[in-house]
Amino acid sequence: MAQSVAVKTRDTENVSIEVPLERPSEWEPEILAFACHYCAFAAADLSGVMRLSYPYNVKIIRMPCTGKLDQSYVLRAFERGVDGAFVAG
Amino acid sequence: MNMNTPTNTQKRGSVLIVGGGIGGMQASLDLADSGFKVHIVQKESSIGGTMVMLDKTFPTGDCSMCMISPKMVEVARHPNIELHTLAQITSVDGVPGDFKVRVIQQPRFVNKDKCTGCGLCEEKCPKKTHSEFEQNLAVRKAIYSEFSQAVPNTRVIDRSICLYLTKGKCRICEKVCTANAIDFEDKGREYDLEVGAVILSPGLKRHNPWLHQELGYGRWENVVTSLQFERILSTSGPFSGEIKRPSDQKHPEKIAWLQCVGSRDPHNANPWCSSVCCMYATKQAVIAREHDSNIKPSIFYMDMRAFGKDFDKYVDRAKNEYNVAYRRSMISDVREDPETQSLIVRYTGDDGKLTYETFDMVVLSIGLEPHSDVHEFAKTFGIDLNNHGFAETSVFSPVSTSREGIYVTGTFQSPKDIPETVMQGSAVAGSAMSLLGEARGSEVVEPVLPPEKDIEGTDPRIGVIVCHCGINISQTVDVKKIAEDVKNLPGVAHSEDMMYACAQDSQAKIKKLIDEKNLNRLVVASCTPRTHAPLFQETIREAGLNKYLFELADIREQCSWCHMGENEAATKKAGDIVRMNIAKVNRLEPVTTDSVPVTPAALVIGGGIAGMTASLSLADQGFAVHLVEKDKALGGLLKQVRTTLEGAEVQDFLRTRIYDVEKHPKITVHTETVIEKSEGFVGNFNTSLSNGKQIEHGAVIVATGGEEYKPEEYYYGENRYVITQRDLELNLMEKGPEPGSSYVMIQCVGSRQEPVNYCSRICCQDAVKNAIAIKEKDPNIPVTIIYRDIRTYGLREDFYRKARDLGVLFIHYEPDRKPEVTPMGRGVSVTTYDYMMRRPVTFQADYLVLSTGLRPHPASEDIGRRFKLTRNADGFFLEAHVKLRPVDFPSEGFYVAGLAHAPKNIDETISQALSAAGRAGVLLSHDRLGVSGIISKHDRDLCMSCLACFRVCPFDSPFIDKDGKVSHNEVKCTGCGICSGICPAKAFQVNNFTDDQMIAMIDALTENIA
Repeated sequence: MAQSVAVKTRDTENVSIEVPLERPSEWEPEILAFACHYCAFAAADLSGVMRLSYPYNVKIIRMPCTGKLDQSYVLRAFERGVDGAFVAG
Repeated sequence: MNMNTPTNTQKRGSVLIVGGGIGGMQASLDLADSGFKVHIVQKESSIGGTMVMLDKTFPTGDCSMCMISPKMVEVARHPNIELHTLAQITSVDGVPGDFKVRVIQQPRFVNKDKCTGCGLCEEKCPKKTHSEFEQNLAVRKAIYSEFSQAVPNTRVIDRSICLYLTKGKCRICEKVCTANAIDFEDKGREYDLEVGAVILSPGLKRHNPWLHQELGYGRWENVVTSLQFERILSTSGPFSGEIKRPSDQKHPEKIAWLQCVGSRDPHNANPWCSSVCCMYATKQAVIAREHDSNIKPSIFYMDMRAFGKDFDKYVDRAKNEYNVAYRRSMISDVREDPETQSLIVRYTGDDGKLTYETFDMVVLSIGLEPHSDVHEFAKTFGIDLNNHGFAETSVFSPVSTSREGIYVTGTFQSPKDIPETVMQGSAVAGSAMSLLGEARGSEVVEPVLPPEKDIEGTDPRIGVIVCHCGINISQTVDVKKIAEDVKNLPGVAHSEDMMYACAQDSQAKIKKLIDEKNLNRLVVASCTPRTHAPLFQETIREAGLNKYLFELADIREQCSWCHMGENEAATKKAGDIVRMNIAKVNRLEPVTTDSVPVTPAALVIGGGIAGMTASLSLADQGFAVHLVEKDKALGGLLKQVRTTLEGAEVQDFLRTRIYDVEKHPKITVHTETVIEKSEGFVGNFNTSLSNGKQIEHGAVIVATGGEEYKPEEYYYGENRYVITQRDLELNLMEKGPEPGSSYVMIQCVGSRQEPVNYCSRICCQDAVKNAIAIKEKDPNIPVTIIYRDIRTYGLREDFYRKARDLGVLFIHYEPDRKPEVTPMGRGVSVTTYDYMMRRPVTFQADYLVLSTGLRPHPASEDIGRRFKLTRNADGFFLEAHVKLRPVDFPSEGFYVAGLAHAPKNIDETISQALSAAGRAGVLLSHDRLGVSGIISKHDRDLCMSCLACFRVCPFDSPFIDKDGKVSHNEVKCTGCGICSGICPAKAFQVNNFTDDQMIAMIDALTENIA
């Protein structure tokens, strides 16, 4: 979450830079997890089996291995508006 | 499936399995998968046994039906398995390898080939009776199926109550059956089967608590058995999973479990320990709390026997997280308060005084007994029973009966839980394979699959199935809404919800849907793809679709189970998960798979009793075995053990086994050798040993064993009067007890407390064994055992009782009040708090004997790292599935046996070793193995040969080809996709994980983000 604001510096005027947005109190981040089939995805299954709870706005995409992760996936996710990417494997 | 070519033999390549519970099913699948024809004879109308009645299983809380249902489906659809339900064996003739058995089959009155399983007959049938399956908490009809997932999926008429068969009128079922499947003329039949071996897995009978009038079962409505409580917990049970008490359907708050009803009670019931009740009561208490957090569970017990892998941790969780109250007290009396129908339980409280406490409901933890047919069995099959009515077996051959060629598994051998039953299932399969090795493949048929439909150029027509999984999913996720919401998504041609997507009738329905709606891809939204994907893949393949045109959306483990009580959010998330998978499936393409040859040899790591037993079994099955042992001699930890609890001579047995291994022509023993390097993959490993040998093998059995804990507690090593049980055993064997001396033993030294919080399982028996040995030599020698819980589970309880009868003193201690030891001139003084007398007591003893636990062998760490096999926090290897795959590793081609897996006794180690050999035998029996379809595909046209893949691939599958450019060896590829992640040209794409599929998933998941 970012917005552009114009700031004055000594040499130039109205340079546009990015600053973090204020976080509204009810705001919940959207998190995408890229999980390895053999470990992290299995761990996510295990957390279900053990009825361990975690925020529901974490969604998991199964990978054959985190080594499969292409940076374009992460960039795509951010471009589409997710707030965090969690790569686990 | 190609099997090794059978040679000419007198032996038959078929096996009879009597009893289709989980143990019988495991044995049948192992045998059928490795080229044997299997006949399952089942007395009831459906296979499934006891496990199908259970709601969830300990210690993982997995849904029992969800685990066993896919297995039942697999059994029913297996081309090499023939089911004979409502059938019994009346005679067995012949010799091992060639038996002739007589089968009598009772009439079903329903033609199962015509029956569609629609259930209309059952709905219309006017005659009702108590349902055995629901433990009399519900009714069933005269025409019925035992439970909704029954296999075969058809009905049976109960002729003892059917109006037509008893009174000559009705026949309503016949009138309403559109399939014409009702056959009142069915007379049953009698026929012979010819088989090479027989496996007995009849399962168990449950103790009848009515015999204990003081507990009020059958008198007070709210006293139920533990199996009734399982049904009460079950979603498909009489109260749909809501916890209610039978008398008034009110929600109980205080529930008491009374342990050892019918067990450990030689005067009124059975002398043995039923092995499973402590854990199932704990599980029921935990699950009850999960259903309803107002419930306050109390468990009244004698000894908490949480002796299995990770069981103690489960009990700790029950105590600390679920507030289950454990009370060490037996119940003398249960009365009903006539006004409230609550129950007044009388027991001795913590203060030693008689206490009356009122509970809303009482659950009796009834024990296990041998199946009611066992005496008939003994006669028919010509086998011996032990004095308790279980099949007579020996410690050293735990699955062989007294008659050669007839094997026993599961609770007919002794009371045991599901994983041990499954383990023995594979063990008997392995034993039968050893007996019939050369006849493998002689009686089986090749599966016939329809040709794959060509979907090239056709638009996706996706079927979406959203599963309720009983209430596992539907109590949190609005399943119907999801099925409705995805109906109009691109590519979706059909969408619906199902109660149990994995049940056999659902598989038939899915096949029909594919056919009728011309579906060419499938999404099932239910549980994890890690366990259930193969089942659905097989189903769609049978319907003519390539099996890779499928995806499982995990909305149970990763949604409903971890977001309980957040129904709206969970439904939204589940919708996202399903949409993401639909987006992916739209882009799936058929995958063609290759096959590779299998090297019919095994590498066994560890020359202890587990490794040697597995080696012998595999070698007898006809496979070459390389047994690697790092010490000078074979034998492992067992070299230090003299006798078993039962009194068998361990060293004689060990010597014979070492001799058998060393002289077996198929076994090569490599002593003083370790693994230097190993590469390859399932079916094709290549391993270099430190002795310079290079071996090729198709499977690996890890039997690295364990070692005994060297205690640092209680002056061990400083004071010569402080010894271990092993030291004592040796002393007793060599010199016998010292006349006039005295012994105090302390249990759980270095076990069952952080950081080593597990039960070592053998120490209670070691202590009892040594105590008996002392007392038998000299009854005047005082022996005191200071213990936390005496865990002489199963039939071992006999020896605990014997020790008590011989005058061994048992005193309980709690970990926060450990015994205190003071060394004296000769011997020691031990002070401990006595909970009976409620004051400290002091013993002076000549010897303090420490019961030290087991630890995993240090070599396990290296082996684990080398082969990438995971271990649990305690350092024991982690099996693929705690309940149903107890000897498999998640990595294919690897199996575990013995102490490397968890602490266990000799007979259990031998069972597990036979089991690992059975599982490995299934793999090695194939000439070729299908390569996984999930591999990386290389496009040479896009490749620039930059060698990025070449550097990162852990499996060396990209290589520089003759033309100097990169090529890809798909056989070595595991489909990890590291190459595809790094390739700048995107020349690598992993099947079912291609870039466009992954991006489509990301896009679908982020669709609703503003």
